[in-house]
Amino acid sequence: MRRSFFPQLALRNLRKNSRVYLPYILASIGTIMMFYILCSMAFNDGLGSMYGGGQMTIILRLGIIVVGLFAVIFLLYTNSFLIKRRKKEIGLYNILGLGKRHLGKMMFFETLYVALFSIVIGLFLGMLLSKLMLALLLKMVSFPVPLGFSVSLNGILLTSILFGAIYLLALISNLVQVGRAKPVELMSGSQYGEREPKTKWLLALIGVFTLGGGYYIAQTVEALVKVIGMFFVAAILVIIGTYCLFTAGSIAVLKVMKKSKSFYYRTKNFTSVSGMLYRMKKNAVGLANICILSTMVLVMISSTVSLYIGIDDTLETVHPREVMAIRYGENSSDIEGMNRAMDTALSRAGVEERGRLSYRYFDLILTDEGVKDQRYYQAEKYYVYYFLPLSDFNVLEGESLSLREGEVIVCGGGYGAGDTFEIPDIGFSAKVRDARPSFSLHHREDDLADMSLHIVVSDFEKAFADIQAASSTLGSKPYISSIVGADIGRDKETEQLVAYELRAALDEIGLSANITLRSSERFEFVTLYGGLLFLGIFLGTLFSMATAMIIYYKQVSEGFEDKERFTIMQKVGMGLGEVKETIRRQILIVFFLPLAASVVHIAFAFKMITRMLSVMLISNMRLFALCTGATILGFALIYTVVFALTARSYYKIVKA
Amino acid sequence: MTLLEVKNLKKVYTSRFGGTKVQALANVSFSVEEGEYVAIMGESGSGKTTLLNIIASLDRPTSGEVLLRGKSILGIKESELAEFRRDNLGFVFQDFNLLDTFSVRDNIFLPLVLAGRPYREMEERLKPLAEKLEISDILNKFPYEISGGQKQRTAVARALITKPQIVLADEPTGALDSKATDQLLRIFSEINREGQTILMVTHSLKAASHAGRVLFIKDGEVYHQIYRGAMTNEAMYQKISDTLTVLTTGGCQA
Repeated sequence: MRRSFFPQLALRNLRKNSRVYLPYILASIGTIMMFYILCSMAFNDGLGSMYGGGQMTIILRLGIIVVGLFAVIFLLYTNSFLIKRRKKEIGLYNILGLGKRHLGKMMFFETLYVALFSIVIGLFLGMLLSKLMLALLLKMVSFPVPLGFSVSLNGILLTSILFGAIYLLALISNLVQVGRAKPVELMSGSQYGEREPKTKWLLALIGVFTLGGGYYIAQTVEALVKVIGMFFVAAILVIIGTYCLFTAGSIAVLKVMKKSKSFYYRTKNFTSVSGMLYRMKKNAVGLANICILSTMVLVMISSTVSLYIGIDDTLETVHPREVMAIRYGENSSDIEGMNRAMDTALSRAGVEERGRLSYRYFDLILTDEGVKDQRYYQAEKYYVYYFLPLSDFNVLEGESLSLREGEVIVCGGGYGAGDTFEIPDIGFSAKVRDARPSFSLHHREDDLADMSLHIVVSDFEKAFADIQAASSTLGSKPYISSIVGADIGRDKETEQLVAYELRAALDEIGLSANITLRSSERFEFVTLYGGLLFLGIFLGTLFSMATAMIIYYKQVSEGFEDKERFTIMQKVGMGLGEVKETIRRQILIVFFLPLAASVVHIAFAFKMITRMLSVMLISNMRLFALCTGATILGFALIYTVVFALTARSYYKIVKA
Repeated sequence: MTLLEVKNLKKVYTSRFGGTKVQALANVSFSVEEGEYVAIMGESGSGKTTLLNIIASLDRPTSGEVLLRGKSILGIKESELAEFRRDNLGFVFQDFNLLDTFSVRDNIFLPLVLAGRPYREMEERLKPLAEKLEISDILNKFPYEISGGQKQRTAVARALITKPQIVLADEPTGALDSKATDQLLRIFSEINREGQTILMVTHSLKAASHAGRVLFIKDGEVYHQIYRGAMTNEAMYQKISDTLTVLTTGGCQA
């Protein structure tokens, strides 16, 4: 045989099978492009050396691992579709006189072409787009965008090695499959053994229990430290449950339907139930994959979007004024001194003030299980009590209340109504003068605590001394914090000037304090959440692409198999309208079952995710609910478009 | 009484871009009486299957008329065709056309389920039929688990369960071994004796020799026909064989 025979044959095969190869190559190019872009950003020296860029780089490197793993699984999975479709053709070559060695050569060249083409085009597009993506990322994290075009050699190298290895792996698995099979088996390759699936009750039960367990955990775990750990346990349980229920559960349900004669032998159900039975047998794993992928996309995008959108909200609560001075852990407070220092700083900087915040408090944290030291957050439940003086309360709320000895105002809910307010652990008891469900102050711990209350007392110093003495045995000693903040509504430079003057003024009167600026806090948030959002959207796009691909291949390969069935049914007396209706029903179920399941997953995960997000400071549950809803809607829209497109090509195949 | 009447049927296939035209049926006319067992013979490409497809309303003629009990089937609307086929016609195909995803029982029930009949009625109809066709013990098996003869008897049961006006069979013995062929032909004769009208397309001499009348088609026209009268199967076989010889050799000279 001529030396150029196999390369030419390989090329011809690819062209002839373009209906199945084109989507595969497109998906490869897309994955390679995404991978390279991520690499080029993660290995970008400029980004790494920027202030706050280190955090970004870590997030991006994490992304590389995720996308790399994904690429291996995804491309090998689509490859298995391809080889299944082509078995008959390869068997024919085998019978016509190409030995296994020759077939190997042919397949080697095919893989080589696909690999070279995909990697070259993917890298090329990646280089073009990486600049754009970098600009987008920098915009999101509000970094300045540098000019110039750069090519990441490390990125090219890593991408080539990874994807070269993936294609090699695909080739090996194809060779092994063809090498093992006899030509006759290859010829009948795609239509092998249509045995009715058996009900695997044990697997179905395992599915019910793991899924139920995962859902139960998601609904019941309260303690924050446990939430993060248990989220992964719950996620793994739900994943196992999803696979079991899709594979065994669906078949069990269909079998039960089939048992009921009056239900099964109806025009509508007859073909659907039996068709679904076989479809689920073959596609359950693929559908479970789709379900899990879409759940991941939805969770990722909705949580990163709400974190990013919520940045300003979050800042307002954790950093209520633009320039703030905070003193923690004292036994007494000099709030007047701090206020004077702020006045001095503002006048020295020549800045007009727009609003002052100034208050003192001491806090006491108690748990339900007697662990009353610093590790309170490991406890199942904990309660935070903030004590503040009446004078500060009146200023904060713009009121002029007065309290008698032994009276308090309680702000915040959940302690139980009553005339007397008590903290039994420290023997505190007072008469409730006024109870308010909400309060303008908000602390970081509040979202996580099972109850947080602000208790307003008339004699702050006395209350502090009493409670410090009473709690000395508990290991959780309260200290006084003093907070002074001012809004100036000016640019960053002026803020920094004020901060500098404030430090000097405080030094002059011998006070030390943490001075923070909202703008620099904001910067920290934006680099972190912007990076996460970028990665979320990036991975979301990638996973959506994968979902669309898997669906496309499913429908196409099923179309070929179903064609014969529908021809027979038409001959036996099924109308074209009924055929269409049956097809529509089946595709609809196959398509939207995974989506519906992932929406249910998210509904159950909602509580846990909001709790985890609250660690990252977003306390706005409505915002997250809104983002989740919007993401689901958007995803469902894309999904429906893919559905319409594939359903159309499916009809074409079946009708042809 | 005349059950089926075919008048001046003509079918011309045009290739996709209108270039070449192939005439499958030139001018076919014949009629089938109620309770008759008619075989249509002819070589490959003579237009047999086209004719059967038109009678089965799976295809439309270029011109001509097909009447079932005096009513034209060509005027039936596309949307009502499926129902018409289901209620009036029973099909037996060469390659069985059983659905792999259904058990033997469900394959037989398929047309009744499509017609929306209650389950009790289905069972009542199936029982005597399954016994007659000797498939009672394989009802719960799947098509890939049974032999070719059993598959074809399943297909016959599926064709008969709707109590059709006419059974249309396209090369029913084509994929069967000789033992299964004998059994199937015996069954056809038996159901014909019970009054079932059968129209069979075949090029098997043996299959045709069981029929009450044999039509010969050549180049898209009915060329000749033989009535059995009082002939035995063997005599009929001889007569058909002679006719075919004339048809091929004589046809060449003419």
